[in-house]
Amino acid sequence: MNAKSEVINGRSDNFVSRLKEEWRQYVIYLGFVVIFIFFSLTLSDKGFLDPNNLLNIVRQTTMIAVMAVAMTFVLSSGEIDLAIGAVAGLVSVTTAMSIARFGMFGGIIGGLLTGVVVGLVNGLLTTRVGIPSFLVTLAMMGIARGTAMWVSNTAAIPILDKTYYFTFGSGNIGPVPILLIWALVVAVIGHIALRKTTFGRKVLATGGSETAARFTGIKTHDIKLQVLIISSVAAAIAGMLYAGRLRSGRFQLGEGDELSVIAAAVLGGTSLFGGFGSVVGSIVGALMIGLINNGLILMGLEFSQQLIARGVIIILAVMVARSRR
Amino acid sequence: MSQSEQQTDDAVVMIGIAKSFGGVAALEHVDFSVRKGEIHALLGGNGAGKSTVLKMLSGVHKPDKGEIWINGVKLEEHTPEAARRLGIAMIFQEMSLIPSLTVAQNIFLTREPKGAIGMLDDRTALKEARILLEKIGVNLDPRRRVDNLSSGQRQLTEIAKALSQQASVLIMDEPTSTLSSAEIDHMFAFLERLKKSHASIIYVSHRMEEIRRIADRVTVIRNGRNVMTKAVAETTLEAIVEEIVGRRVGAFDRKARATKAGEEVLRCVSVTAKPRPVEANLTVRAGEIVGIAGLMGSGRTSLAKSIFGLQPIASGEIRLKEKVVKISAPPDAVEAGIAMIPEDRLTQGLVLQHSVADNMTLPVIDRNSRFGFVQEAKEKTLVAAYIKQLRVKTASPQKPVRTLSGGNAQKVVLAKWLATDPLLLILDEPTAGVDIGSKTEIVEIVRGFADRGRGVLVISSEPAELLALSDRILVMAGGRVVREISSEEIESWAEHSTDAAHRISLMETGLQVAIQEANS
Repeated sequence: MNAKSEVINGRSDNFVSRLKEEWRQYVIYLGFVVIFIFFSLTLSDKGFLDPNNLLNIVRQTTMIAVMAVAMTFVLSSGEIDLAIGAVAGLVSVTTAMSIARFGMFGGIIGGLLTGVVVGLVNGLLTTRVGIPSFLVTLAMMGIARGTAMWVSNTAAIPILDKTYYFTFGSGNIGPVPILLIWALVVAVIGHIALRKTTFGRKVLATGGSETAARFTGIKTHDIKLQVLIISSVAAAIAGMLYAGRLRSGRFQLGEGDELSVIAAAVLGGTSLFGGFGSVVGSIVGALMIGLINNGLILMGLEFSQQLIARGVIIILAVMVARSRR
Repeated sequence: MSQSEQQTDDAVVMIGIAKSFGGVAALEHVDFSVRKGEIHALLGGNGAGKSTVLKMLSGVHKPDKGEIWINGVKLEEHTPEAARRLGIAMIFQEMSLIPSLTVAQNIFLTREPKGAIGMLDDRTALKEARILLEKIGVNLDPRRRVDNLSSGQRQLTEIAKALSQQASVLIMDEPTSTLSSAEIDHMFAFLERLKKSHASIIYVSHRMEEIRRIADRVTVIRNGRNVMTKAVAETTLEAIVEEIVGRRVGAFDRKARATKAGEEVLRCVSVTAKPRPVEANLTVRAGEIVGIAGLMGSGRTSLAKSIFGLQPIASGEIRLKEKVVKISAPPDAVEAGIAMIPEDRLTQGLVLQHSVADNMTLPVIDRNSRFGFVQEAKEKTLVAAYIKQLRVKTASPQKPVRTLSGGNAQKVVLAKWLATDPLLLILDEPTAGVDIGSKTEIVEIVRGFADRGRGVLVISSEPAELLALSDRILVMAGGRVVREISSEEIESWAEHSTDAAHRISLMETGLQVAIQEANS
């Protein structure tokens, strides 16, 4: 018996196998650089490198990036949240409506509250009732989108508060779009929370092995509940940014974002099965998706072709970056 | 005996089987035969080679030396399929059945009767299943889904499935450990009937009482050799246990501890949970190591789980330092100062993909943090200290814990819990799957911990380990603590011997007999 376990554990960790294991962790950064250089060369005459275009990529990527940071926690804890895109749409509507009635702060509170409530419902159904988060959030996706359509009568609700739409998406500080600041702040907070706080450790342990984490005295249900609330609140922030950028709340906003967000996180090296996550990776993953979208548009591809090309690129990237197991 | 004759008469004949893994001999020389229409008990301690013999027979491993004959045909190709074709069926415990399918669908899985155009013919399957179950005398509706069956009914379904594939030799490994006593009676009556139809059964169990009830002959394997084959009627419990224990030179040695049992650390007052334990009472004092012995299913692990908050307590109370504590989940237990080294270190003890350092610091992250931020310098010192103190062999603290050997991984689990500085340490099978060197080291670590005035509760299915560690041993059976064995009594088992190896063998025999007596 001992002999057998020795054979299993005796796998030698030589340099080649270590390199083989570790390069996948960094392939996302390499891929990002390669794609960037490729577009720079092929699309130089179409203004790819124009600062305005690059800032546009950032503007278009921020909402995905904000949600991808939270998704890193959700996936790391071994759960998933499919409702985020719909929640962003719903929050854009509730925020716009609250601003119209109560002013800017009322709007912000209304938006955040919507996120917290949805997250709480998702989390309680997942951890207390025991329905898998996949199903809970799939159902919530329809509920949130439907509610948004219902309360808005499927119409866009304009936002006239200048301070609001400056702060949440439309403004620039000097040459820097305010959205870039939002993305940076969320990324820094997320990175520190995952790497440097006890909460981050507990999230990773819960996703790595829920049984072992529970045996260690971690309240894994509470961790999962918190993570799902964080995810909905991040989706709420994204929805508020969408609303600020378009100066209106619309139920369609954020449609399909859940797929881009999950793709961004997985591209960045976060495991779909839990236990591993990287906030920096998720940000770069989100930027890469924004980069690809932008490049394909500049190439003059039709929307149908863009969808196909994006799908193929994501599959290829995930194949290469596939989790280390 | 004339071998050619045996080969035609016997259901199974294994001659001169030897097998080693990675240069270490698991079996040195085993001769083993099973007659047609016989229930043959195969016994041996942990690591004696019992399961290797069964794996040879069922085609999982190929012997290095020796021959295997099944129903007069030599097993040439050593694969599970070939062994099955010759009539061997292994009845798994938690089992090869698909819970979401019915009994009939499971019996005929991959061999479903088909209709004219290749469509599944469920009606014929149902009819055939009914005939089969009736023939072997099992009263079970084949339309029932397996997940609605009791463990006993599942096992019968498993056997029916094997028999429908023309199995003539059934291998059953601890078949009764999950059964109630009524189900056991039913199962034994069924096995008796099966025997009359000339099927052979190889029966592995640690319950001597069952073996005396059901088996015709018994073979004992020790240190990779068959040391005894006898008719059950011609031998005694003591004789069988003595053969199992033998005079083995193990990693364990009983050293009397200078116990200065101090104040009470833990007291369980008629702790009851579903289905086990049942009104369990025990105390552990400061500086004391208390062992819990018992067969599989005796409630040892359930008791530990109840104390640690992994299984709700229906009635009774747990007192820590003479204060009643309410423990409904592991965090409460950790908070109260209880630590538990769980039975299965791979799934319960460690996050395998995470590093040695992350695993070691997990239970104490809240203590090593300020305002929610982990204090990494503090953690580093702690990890380095434990790696050194417990002599954990790892290339670096950042290596995933899955790359460590069993012994070193177990030391990481120990370190993780020692770091919480608990009042009470519970260990469930602390040295299972651990190499001999680490076993001795782990025993020393636990003794050192108790010497610092803490309480320790050890659960083990290995008597030698319990004897090496414990000051007192409690024996559990049927969910109850039925007997307490004092240090003096343990010593008295070996009072006539001075030879260390012989003494530990005598004590092991004494403990084994005590466990068996508790079950009869």
